[in-house]
Amino acid sequence: MARVPLLSSNAVWAVFTKEAVCESRTKYAVGALVMFALTALSSVSLAIAGVSLAPELAAALLWIVLFFCAMAGLARVFVQEQEAGTLLGLRLYATGQAVFWGKLLFNLVLLLGLTGIVAPLFTVFFGIEIWYWLPFVIVLLLGCVGMAAVATLTAAMVMYAQGKHAIFTVLTFPVLLPQFLSAINLTAKILSEDMPELSELMFMAGYDAAVVAAGILLFDYLWQE
Amino acid sequence: MRKAASLLTIWLAGVILAVVYLIPPAEGLGYFVRIAFFHIPVAWVSVLAFLVSAAAAGLHLRTREYKYDCMSACSAQLGVCFCLLATISGAVFAKLTWGAYWNWDPRQTTVFVLLLIYGAYLALRSAIEDEERRAAISAVYALLSFLTVPFLVFIIPRMYFSLHPEPVLNSAGKVAMEPVMLYVLLAAVGGVTALYCLLLSQSVAKAGERPEKELSI
Repeated sequence: MARVPLLSSNAVWAVFTKEAVCESRTKYAVGALVMFALTALSSVSLAIAGVSLAPELAAALLWIVLFFCAMAGLARVFVQEQEAGTLLGLRLYATGQAVFWGKLLFNLVLLLGLTGIVAPLFTVFFGIEIWYWLPFVIVLLLGCVGMAAVATLTAAMVMYAQGKHAIFTVLTFPVLLPQFLSAINLTAKILSEDMPELSELMFMAGYDAAVVAAGILLFDYLWQE
Repeated sequence: MRKAASLLTIWLAGVILAVVYLIPPAEGLGYFVRIAFFHIPVAWVSVLAFLVSAAAAGLHLRTREYKYDCMSACSAQLGVCFCLLATISGAVFAKLTWGAYWNWDPRQTTVFVLLLIYGAYLALRSAIEDEERRAAISAVYALLSFLTVPFLVFIIPRMYFSLHPEPVLNSAGKVAMEPVMLYVLLAAVGGVTALYCLLLSQSVAKAGERPEKELSI
């Protein structure tokens, strides 16, 4: 039966659901990510045993844990397709844009879910009180969008490379650095009971928009055979 | 090619002599200022090589021609060498004038990120075997990393305090230098840029010989 490649939001949704169904069957990414986050957070917390951290250190710790969690799990969306040999099938059914958006959404949902676990645990383990919840959530959200967007693109790049996971981190870090630095900066500000300025939030949003736009323009080159 | 190389050697030797005999010791820096005549041109070329690499990557994605991919890769390889030289000479300069090799000054951070990007790009290239795929994927990476540079230039100076002097071409448009120093510096920048161009064209020509042989097999 001949089928037309799926288009538009339907296709994006289809790719997203496919990812979610695959994940719900194996629970590989979720399990690895949650345990990784828990190990990283608790190891630091155990090691310093109740010493309170300066806001700058705490903010850096939070984002380093989030970054390495993302690096542990987000490459899977493309690496798994390559390893299972399902890449060709996906290429036949969906356009590059649909695949990009679908996988990006899935990675974003995964990362937000993870942040939803890590951030509260972080405040509990390190005895941190957050005075401005809304800016904190916004910074986390913007940081996750940037991380998911860059990671989705670099995951598509390492698909054919050898030593995929090692090179995935190497590729993602320099590209993500502006967002990483500003997220740490703003989180440190919030933890020291200071409101971030609107322009700083706009900077993070601008970075996210730029990376997503670059993804829209460049992803087809990665996806074409 | 050979003629250009010998001309360039004479030019660079002239620049070195000029730096040694013409440049007066600078206020506060003394004879250490001589390092600047090595450091500034090398730093300029490491940024230029990155620009060329990204531009060639863009051209490759448009035309799918092998020569642009080759140019992008060769430029990155040269760029990483120049970037290392700039980092090391900058660190030595910093030790002599500020008292520490490394203190995450904004310029040091930027040059370090540039080094990371070059490293990641070359690591990616060496990890992919298929030639066409390698060309397309590394071109996309070069462009993606190029996109983040303006953000870095904006964010880093806000986060770290800088001791680095203003660039020669600063925002005020004034040149705070004696004419002799400026001319020697311009000569050095021109010489090192020409050296980069020469090395780039040589390595592109060398790499360009390969695919035809492979095709004929």
